[in-house]
Order: sequence, then C-alpha cells, then structure tokens
Amino acid sequence: MAEHAVDARGLVRTFDDGTGIRGVDIWVAPGEIHALVGLNGAGKSTLMRLLLGMLTPADGTVTIAGQALKHVDWAAVGHLVDYPLAYRELTCRQNLALGARLHGVSPAKIPGMVAAAIAELQLTQYADRRAAKLSLGNKQRLGLASALQHDPRFIVLDEPTNSLDPSGVILLREALLRRSDEGAAVLVSSHHLDEVARIAGRISVLNAGRVIGSLDPHGVDIERAFFDLVHSDDVAA
Amino acid sequence: MTIGLVTEFAKLVHSTMVRVTTILVVLGISLICAAMLFAVHTDDPQLAAKLGPLIDPGGWAGYITVAIQVTGAAGFVGYGVVLSWLFSREFADGTITGLFAIPVSRPAIATAKLVVYLAWGLVTAAALLLALIVLGFISGLGGVPADVVPSMARQFGLSVFTIVLATPAAWAATLGRSVLAGIGTTIGILVLSQVSVIAGSGGWFPFAAPAVWAIHTDIAVTPVQLALVIPVVVLAVALTLHAWHRLQLDR
Repeated sequence: MAEHAVDARGLVRTFDDGTGIRGVDIWVAPGEIHALVGLNGAGKSTLMRLLLGMLTPADGTVTIAGQALKHVDWAAVGHLVDYPLAYRELTCRQNLALGARLHGVSPAKIPGMVAAAIAELQLTQYADRRAAKLSLGNKQRLGLASALQHDPRFIVLDEPTNSLDPSGVILLREALLRRSDEGAAVLVSSHHLDEVARIAGRISVLNAGRVIGSLDPHGVDIERAFFDLVHSDDVAA
Repeated sequence: MTIGLVTEFAKLVHSTMVRVTTILVVLGISLICAAMLFAVHTDDPQLAAKLGPLIDPGGWAGYITVAIQVTGAAGFVGYGVVLSWLFSREFADGTITGLFAIPVSRPAIATAKLVVYLAWGLVTAAALLLALIVLGFISGLGGVPADVVPSMARQFGLSVFTIVLATPAAWAATLGRSVLAGIGTTIGILVLSQVSVIAGSGGWFPFAAPAVWAIHTDIAVTPVQLALVIPVVVLAVALTLHAWHRLQLDR
C-alpha cells in the first residue's frame, strides 16, 4: 500500500440526485501522472473531493503516502478543485504568499517560492494586480501556481485546463511533467482527451460513478475508444 | 493558529467590504448623532419637538444617549454583516476548497476569523467613541462633564457586547453558506430583542440585556442578566467551530 502516493479502495458516496461514486478503486504511484476522464456527472470531482477529505465516504478507504486522511502530512499535497485559491482583494503575489503559508511553508522561504511560481506560470506582468482584475485564464494560472509552488508530492487537479489559453495549457503540461519526473504523483481530470494523452501514463474512464476501463495514452483514436467504453457501459446498465 | 491569524488578517485589511463597513459604523453612527444635535437646535419648532425627547436631557448626556441607542441597533447590524461576510465569502468565492487538504485545520481557520473579527471590532468601537467625542466638540458641546464619562464607558461597553453578540451570524453564514443567512439571522435577533424590550423582559434576553443596561440607567439590569451573554456567545462560537470541523463540500 505505502508504495502508492494515494490509494483508495471501494469508495462509495452517492447523492440524492443519483450522482456520486459507487465502489471506485484508484491509486497513483510516485512519478506517475494518472488522468481521469468521463462525461459531466461521471463522478470525477466527487472522487477527487473524497481523496482530499472534502467529502466523507459512505464506504471505502483512502490513504495518502500510506497514511489515513486523519494523519496525512497535507503540506506535501497540492490541489486545485473547482475554484482557484484566489482572494479578489489580494494581488497575485499576496495570494501566492497566503497559499504558501497555508501549506506550511516557512516565512523565510515564501518570497523566493512565490517569485519562482510567478515566473513558472508567466504571471510576472500581473504579479501585483489584484485577483479581482484578472481574466479567468490568469486566475486559473494563479490557482495552479498556488497548488504547485510548494512542490507537493501528491498533486490533484480537477479540470486544470479550464479557461487556460494555449500557452497556459503548455505551461501546465511542462509544470506537471517536471514534477512527475521529480517523483510527484499527479491525478488530473479533464475533458480534453488529446491533452491528457500527451501527459498521462495511465487514463481511467469514469462513468456513472464507476471506473469502467482505461485508455491507452498512445492509442490511435483515443476519442473513439473513450466513447466505445462509455456506450458499452451505458448499454450494459 | 498563527498561520490562520496571519492569513485572515491579510484578507481583512485588504477587504473593500470591511473598509466600507468600518466607515459606516464609525462615521455613519457618529454623524447621525451629531446631525441630530444640529437638527434639534434649528429654528424649525416641529423638528425640535420631534427630536428633542430623543436627545433629552440635551448636551453631552443627551448626545451620548442617542449614540448608545444607535450603537445598539446599527452597530449590531454592521458587526453582523462583517462577520457573516468573513465566514460566507469562502463559499461564495469558491475558496473553501483551498481550505481543505492543508496543514491548517478548518476549526483553526474559523477561530482565526473570530479573533481577527474581535480585534477589528474593538478597534472600530474605540474609533467610534473617539469620533463621537471629536464631533461633540465640533458641534459646540464644550468640555465633557465628569458625569457623562460613565455614559461614554457604557457606550463603549455596549459596542463590545454588540461585537460578541453578533457571533451567531458566523454560525448561520456557515450553515447557510451565504452572507444572507448571516445577515438575516442578525436582523432576526435584532427584531426579537426589540420585542423582548417592548414586552418588558429585555433584561432576561441576552441579546437585549446589554442595550437595556446601557440605555436605561433607571432600569436595573443585574450582573446575572448581563452574564447570560457569556453562555450565548460560547455556544455560538462552539457551534461555529463544530460546523467548520464537520464541514463537507456536499452541496
């Protein structure tokens, strides 16, 4: 178990509207980029929330670096789920400093870390602009910088390419590949099959709250393979 | 806890909403009171007749009495609005997800919010009293008589009571995940307080007792009645921290 950065077994959490997660097993090894793909409502965000302690599972277990969620060293985790951690009244620099503080970074290290994050996500010209004045794409870059700046060992990103322009997508790709090369485990969800195929070592397909199969990132027609899987599952159900 | 305090302080001092509310509480209340002083001394006998009883017995004593009355109502709403916003904005802005999966616990963040709010409230209360004194001088009331100093102390004391008694707004804003839930709760408490005072039982209603104590020096409010504020505030704080401890992003 401990060889996985994250290891979830038999996760169940459903909602009144019928959506949710129904018996999902998932794990990510150090140095691996594992992508989750699925249609809207398939359960990707719910699964990520369960892994990060934002939701309590009705059944199943989650461990991060071999530890139950109560005992996890959260300083080693970085995430962006739903909305970026960007307070509208603070500048990019102030938001990143706040994010670093919340991740337990010592005050002496924060200025250098923030400067590096601003450079990595190419936010230099917006560094002293308030988040309220940023475009959606730059706000997303800010959120990604906040999630990645402390070099976490386990990274969870829910549809991180949302609102990003093509250069932002490339910056994110490079940032994730760099961190996985350094041993970080990355779990990323996306609707963009081509993009996840470029970075992921493993692609799991979620449908109706279950993992129904996987896709070959090097496959010829990944989109067709995805829809074949989903359609077969829907017909079987 | 220190990390929570630092981050919450940074958010508070940069917030336009908090700045505006601070101005409204400090200048708004003090200007209303000073304006009543001016209005009662106009040549309009009808206006003087309407406002005169409100600032009875006139001078510093009447002026501070008006300030106490306005503080009890407007101050409570102002403090409730800021507290509601402090807690609900994480849900409204979506930043709540960033407060999970970090080394700082959510109860520690909620505690930091309450501490920062308390510090802001005390500074605002002191600034309000100072603004009242300055505007009193500017209005030509002259030196402060010694017998008015206790009234000033009651005005500041009422501000402090009002600050802590607004804490149910934090719980409501958390449960409702909306600033309106907190503000609605604040206004609801204010209405119930007025009803309890009209019914003659304000001394035993913890949200009304401090105002009755501060405004009506002829009505005896016992230390026991004032002390009932403590369990109410402790309960509101405990419920808020419990709500942040048990928080799930399930809606």
